[in-house]
Amino acid sequence: MVDINKLREIAAEVISRDDVRELIGYRPGTYGFRARPAFVTGPEEVDRLIFTPACVNNLATYITLEEKLPVPRGQEPDTRKVAVMVKGCDSRALVQQMEEKAYGRDQVVVLGIPCTGVVDMARVEARFPGVLELGEIALEGGKFVLSFDGKVEEVPKDELLADKCARCRYPTPLVYDQLLDDEVARFADDDYSDIEALEKRSMEDKWGYWEEKFSRCIRCYSCRNVCPMCYCEDCVLDRINPTWMRRSVDISENTAFHIARAYHLAGRCIQCGECQRVCPAKIPLMELNRKFYKDVGELYDYEPGTNVEAAPLLATFSVEDREDFIL
Amino acid sequence: MAVKKLSKEKIGEALKELSKFRLIAPARSDEVVIFKEIADPEEAYLDYGNSTVPPKKVVFPQTETLFRFMVGNPELEEKNVEEEGTTVIFGLRPCDARAMAIVEKLFSWDYDDPYFLKRRELTTLVGMACVEPPSVNCFCPSVGGGPFGKEGLDLLLTDMGDYYLVQSLTDKGKKLEETLASQLEDAAGGDEKKAEGMAAEAEGKIRRSIKTEGIPEKLPGLWENDLWKKVSAACLGCGICTFLCPTCHCFDIQDEVEELGDGRRCRMWDSCMFSEYSLHASGHNPRPTRRERTRNRISHKYSYYPSRFDVIACVGCGRCINLCPVNIDILDILEQVVDA
Amino acid sequence: MGDNTKTDFEPNIVAFLCNWCSYAGADLAGTSRIHYPPNVRVIRVMCSGRVNPLFVMNALQQGADGVLISGCHPGDCHYMQGNYYARRRFNLMRNFLEYLGVEPERVRMSWVSASEGAKWKEVIEEVTEGVRTVGPMDKFKRRQLNW
Repeated sequence: MVDINKLREIAAEVISRDDVRELIGYRPGTYGFRARPAFVTGPEEVDRLIFTPACVNNLATYITLEEKLPVPRGQEPDTRKVAVMVKGCDSRALVQQMEEKAYGRDQVVVLGIPCTGVVDMARVEARFPGVLELGEIALEGGKFVLSFDGKVEEVPKDELLADKCARCRYPTPLVYDQLLDDEVARFADDDYSDIEALEKRSMEDKWGYWEEKFSRCIRCYSCRNVCPMCYCEDCVLDRINPTWMRRSVDISENTAFHIARAYHLAGRCIQCGECQRVCPAKIPLMELNRKFYKDVGELYDYEPGTNVEAAPLLATFSVEDREDFIL
Repeated sequence: MAVKKLSKEKIGEALKELSKFRLIAPARSDEVVIFKEIADPEEAYLDYGNSTVPPKKVVFPQTETLFRFMVGNPELEEKNVEEEGTTVIFGLRPCDARAMAIVEKLFSWDYDDPYFLKRRELTTLVGMACVEPPSVNCFCPSVGGGPFGKEGLDLLLTDMGDYYLVQSLTDKGKKLEETLASQLEDAAGGDEKKAEGMAAEAEGKIRRSIKTEGIPEKLPGLWENDLWKKVSAACLGCGICTFLCPTCHCFDIQDEVEELGDGRRCRMWDSCMFSEYSLHASGHNPRPTRRERTRNRISHKYSYYPSRFDVIACVGCGRCINLCPVNIDILDILEQVVDA
Repeated sequence: MGDNTKTDFEPNIVAFLCNWCSYAGADLAGTSRIHYPPNVRVIRVMCSGRVNPLFVMNALQQGADGVLISGCHPGDCHYMQGNYYARRRFNLMRNFLEYLGVEPERVRMSWVSASEGAKWKEVIEEVTEGVRTVGPMDKFKRRQLNW
């Protein structure tokens, strides 16, 4: 369990530095069990920072999300660093962004938080509906402890744990300037059993499955916006000339959207699962991304977000790459 | 004219009767509640909170063709909305119906939007009162609505236990009652009074609120206030709040042209939270960051729209609060507006 | 869609051929008067490595029943490595489309060198028959001019 006072102390120290512009962390949400991102600009604001299993957001996305406006004449650009709190999965986003040279290592101050798992908020709200006053979630001795409306409920960890955490290979951040807690050893792995089960189904079944999901897509672009790896200024999904997928919403354009986005994440998706969490239509986007992850791992022995020095997957090749599918 | 009731046992029959029209009802796709055209009454899922995408998409489709054009043909083939026929939306919530009435003001303001208005005319709205609030984040009474609100609806159903109380509110509603004459019975004398009591109780169960008085007038003066930077810092710039909002109505018009020059002009939902929304052809963007876009969205709903149409363009359904990935909360923003 | 007794179905196949090897090989098949099925529409690119995997998605969306990408043999690419990159890309795209329910027979790749006119005929025959077996591509085809 992260010592909250130590976290706030370190945050205060970091934000007081002259060379740090902003610190991104978590703070309590506005209702129920939710937590939300906090953007701290001074040490007086650190008291609202928290870290609990409700802190589901991947804050690494804000490093590349921030709009870079032209600097007004006569002004110098603000070259100060941004400090960000990252869990294990989030840190992989930073690694992958740096691997792709989105920015230099010296432009971020990374406060790593070894993570023992976050909750699936939909499951929490289904289990304890109607909670309005702010409640808290903690993990103690293998159980989630929820305090709300004057009572305390304990739930076995696996009943509320986010699916992605049940498969997490990297609970401890892979890059950090400071670690805010003791390292957490790997406690899970991904056996891809659901991906394999889907692979084995008939063509009709598979298309029927995805057609129902993609028909629900409303093209809100939330999956793309929340994704830390989707930071192209000129995104393929928005382009006109060439128009890869039209703005009109129907099964054809929606399928093209999801194929294009998943493909653009091949060898880049670091499995933070945010896309699936944010989707209002509950499309199982991680089933698309994990298919690529599995293939990329099996075919090319590559795992994104683990090594800043690695070369991006599709910018490399091996003479021995598989070609049994080629005539 | 006696108030009617519909026994729950007869719901299947009633829906079957209504399926001779284009019947739209809440249904499930996996665990997501959506409004869709149902042919089989079994598909209707009436025991629901609220849908993710509001039924505004029935009168204001996410994508709709305005006209088609073909090379060699000097005439445009215009969309004929009449062909869609009479539509019944069965079981929508009062907030979603009120939202349609609010949006209608814009679509009949300086230009009568033939598509929206014709669909509105062809659509009968059968509402389902909220005996329980669908969400902890509902706040309809604060913005002029209510869990048993009648505005915008043609019929209101109230769940009384074994049966629904059916109150017709307009001529369209009466007509629909006649269609369902075999399934409806006269309600007991005291039912309307009982429903009124249930309405008051339901309103009492809504826990979130905001005092909107003065907000429309105050907002323009807060243009440079730094609250906008703070509340928009976490925003991802996606379209969830706008697409799921029953009163949001912005659209883009695009031509989709196939290789030979045939094509269609269609309009589709657009979101003021997207960065390209206000992007000029020159490359200039008057709302370059999420700060400006958030300020614009809140000001539009709570200041510009009321100043022109005397009604806040928000019905308090709470979808934006529930589904915003980063927990940006309109009530939280409005509280900061009030305190600013 | 499984029933393919439609004997009048002629597959529509889009082929991206690299200028230096495959296009020349296809041309050789032509000048040698080798007969092969007419179902392929050829798009010449300078290198198979130029082919964006999204071309496959786009072709299928626009009504192609199958897509073929053909390039130089590994080691012989006119631009040294283009075909190696293409190999990786299309392996992934093919697997992914299969996962969505798009038959792998629709997404094919081949190495055809400039002297392999005869091989070109075999490639086309195999690809055409493969697509003919799985039938017309309908799954996420763009409904043109829909209301």
